[in-house]
Amino acid sequence: MKIITLGISIILTLISPLVSAAFKIPEYQSLKLDNGLQIYLMQQSEVPLIDVQLTVRAGAVDDQGAFGLANITGEALMFGSGKLSKVEVEDLLAFHGAELSSFTDTEMSTLSMSFAAKDQKKLMTLFRDVALKPTFSAEEFTKFKKRYISQLTQSRESPRNIVGNLFQRMYYGEHPYGNPVSGDISTVEKINISHVKDFYQKYYTPNNSALIVVGDFNAKKIKKQLKQLFGQWRGKAPEDSVLSLVNNKTESGVWLVDKDDANETTFMIGGKGINANHPDYVSAQVINTILGARFTSWLNEELRTNTGLTYGARSGFSDNSTAGSFTISTFTKTETTFEAIDLAIKTYHKLWEKGIDAETLKSAKAYVKGQFPPRFETSQQLARLLGRMWALKLSDSIINDFQQKVDSLDVKKANQLVKQLFPKENLQFVLVGKASEIREKAKAYGKLKEMNIKTFNY
Amino acid sequence: MKQTLLLISFCLVMVFMSMAEVNAATRKSDVKSFTLSNGMTILVVEDQSIPNANMYLFWKVGSRNEVPGITGLSHFFEHMMFNGAKKYGPKQFDKVMEANGGANNAYTTENLTVYTNWFPSDSIEVMFDLEADRIQHLAIDEKMVESERGVVTSERSTGLENSNVRMIMEEVKGAAFRAHPYSWSVIGHQSDIDSWTLQDLKDFHRTYYAPNNAFVVIAGDVKLSQVKKLAKKYWEPIPAQPAPQKVRTVEPEQRGERRVYVQKSSVTSPNIMLAYHVPATSSDDYYPLEMLSNILGNGDSSRLIRSLIDEQQLATSIFTYFPKSFDPNLFYVYAVAAKDVSAEKLEKAVVKEINKVIKEGVTQGELEKEKNKAQVNFYRTISTINGKANTLGTYALYFGDYSKLFSAVEDMQNVTVEDIKRVASTYLRKKNRTVGILAAEEDSQEEDL
Repeated sequence: MKIITLGISIILTLISPLVSAAFKIPEYQSLKLDNGLQIYLMQQSEVPLIDVQLTVRAGAVDDQGAFGLANITGEALMFGSGKLSKVEVEDLLAFHGAELSSFTDTEMSTLSMSFAAKDQKKLMTLFRDVALKPTFSAEEFTKFKKRYISQLTQSRESPRNIVGNLFQRMYYGEHPYGNPVSGDISTVEKINISHVKDFYQKYYTPNNSALIVVGDFNAKKIKKQLKQLFGQWRGKAPEDSVLSLVNNKTESGVWLVDKDDANETTFMIGGKGINANHPDYVSAQVINTILGARFTSWLNEELRTNTGLTYGARSGFSDNSTAGSFTISTFTKTETTFEAIDLAIKTYHKLWEKGIDAETLKSAKAYVKGQFPPRFETSQQLARLLGRMWALKLSDSIINDFQQKVDSLDVKKANQLVKQLFPKENLQFVLVGKASEIREKAKAYGKLKEMNIKTFNY
Repeated sequence: MKQTLLLISFCLVMVFMSMAEVNAATRKSDVKSFTLSNGMTILVVEDQSIPNANMYLFWKVGSRNEVPGITGLSHFFEHMMFNGAKKYGPKQFDKVMEANGGANNAYTTENLTVYTNWFPSDSIEVMFDLEADRIQHLAIDEKMVESERGVVTSERSTGLENSNVRMIMEEVKGAAFRAHPYSWSVIGHQSDIDSWTLQDLKDFHRTYYAPNNAFVVIAGDVKLSQVKKLAKKYWEPIPAQPAPQKVRTVEPEQRGERRVYVQKSSVTSPNIMLAYHVPATSSDDYYPLEMLSNILGNGDSSRLIRSLIDEQQLATSIFTYFPKSFDPNLFYVYAVAAKDVSAEKLEKAVVKEINKVIKEGVTQGELEKEKNKAQVNFYRTISTINGKANTLGTYALYFGDYSKLFSAVEDMQNVTVEDIKRVASTYLRKKNRTVGILAAEEDSQEEDL
């Protein structure tokens, strides 16, 4: 395969809204029930499918030290609903070819279901039951927790699974944006079912949630159904918590994670980024495309095409509602670790030293516009977009003004923005590899902290 | 890409539901096809839902066409096709494509090499030009070959570093096949990556990258007449070549269980892989095996997942993998042990579930469920232009006719509970399997199963 992606921050970059030429958000209806529940309805009739999702403004930032609590609460919705056991819910979904999943992020939690339009009556009711009538079975929780801890342990077998989370933890420090969404073995050990129930009671309330339905339905009928199913939901919204400011790093640091059988070093380098509502968000994406978000990007060209040091090198912004980070990431065999790190930094510095020229900017603008529409092609993709916009309080303009924002970016502005938006000083490094062979040289990049891949705590 | 294929179980099938009448889902009659005089066949699906289109080029070459000494060459070629031709020199393929708003990728399997271009539909002519140049005039530059060896070595190494499946599968395939080229991994042996020659590459390109060895699907905001015109202009002048030699080797029948063991100290609980020889996709047993694969290991309500993960808590993850294949290949079961569960215990529990199907068969309800899932999954697949292009090409090549995609659910309707029991007892036998174990401890006598 020609290209792969690396790390969690990169995945965040890929799902960040980027828009192209003719694209506007397809028409949708917005309504609010008396209990405060926000509803969005978007009709899409190409295939007879419906995607429904409930998005809640609660995520890993609300874990309060119990890393993983928001994520586990989302998963626990599937332990049984109303009169149905976990197994009965699973069997009912499978029989209809429906898919149910929970996804938790730093600032939002989403429960989503995809099903055939002909099953709307039955499965929308089931969706309501899963969301609003969870049994939180203690027996299921015990089984789940045991398995979940095993999986957290297993995830440490692969550097790619952990490097992104470690970077966020390193960069944000104690700030809640650094909380690992999946949690940590030591914190999950302490979570019990009453913590999950409390978290649910506090955050899963109608005026802290949005219900989004996209697909092949009759708008009048579905409104009636949703009012009937969700109109009686009660609960008080949690108070808006104000996040503290992120402390800027005043020196470079290196987290060296030892994996004694590693044959390569996986690394991430980065620093301060931008928040999701930043006025220059779109421009930053265009500039980053040039640096590290397409095949001919500077980083991939230098580290892969010109030198064969790696299979792929990337960069990207990972954005939250009030702050964000920026990272460069790649991997290379142990022996070429520092050659690759130095080349990555040297290439990154080209942004300041050489700057962006007119031809490269023109190409990047064409690329981001051309690659946009397929990101919002399916009902599921559109539902996710609406959910993210609601949760992070983003307006339609992030989509509808995209073309104009891309078009208006000129060379002068792009080079000015490099200086404002990309971190140059006090970069942070996470290196996962064979410590005995890279420890000494790693010290040159900043204050070193060493840990073991099997035993570290976030 | 093989990694991704392993994690996703394909059940791309359909039925004409009554609701299909009212929506715009692609039907058989929406797919148009034509063949150029040089033997290149092109399918076109017009779809105006987004202002984009794609171009999927399926080349009938994969690791099954290799021999010792050039293992991994098909995959390496997938990389070399981006490294410069006559009109568009080194780096230009990607630079020109991206400047025109396009992006691309490619993947190689045991059977096929597939190139994918995704672009705003008004850039379509550039795509034809870029492809024509590299198909007809690929420049195999020595310097690019050397740099690309490093890239592929890194790809191989990062796969082994990060994926237990890759590591164990390489050994299992090597043991399950002692004659047929499915024996080696798609990425190939490191020693071959280090040493193939320029002449190997030139011969390979001439033999396999001939228009008569390709199958193309274009889906999206395009017109059939426009595609025809461009195909004639850019692709028809490329001369056909003699058909590549057939793969002659047939894997001899396996007559007893084979076992392999891999030690990796960073593994935290044992991983096991069971692989059974099964027939090619063209066999009548394809759908019974596909449904058996899903009944056993796809979804929370499947037998292995329900029993071993949920009820017995012996495993943290399980999946089955039954790839489409030109030649007889393998039916895989993969499981990761829960904390403190031994490989031996896990393997016994997997085999017990398989034996239950052999002895008692499956239920009518399980069969019904698989048919319903197939219907809905079909719609998920064709909800994107990429899903359409990839699936149509896949059906055309493995079943010999793209329209098999549209009759797949009918074909599944004919499968009975007796068929499932029959294929389970025919193929999922001890003497026909290879078992692989990946664990942190050294393989020692005391640890033998």
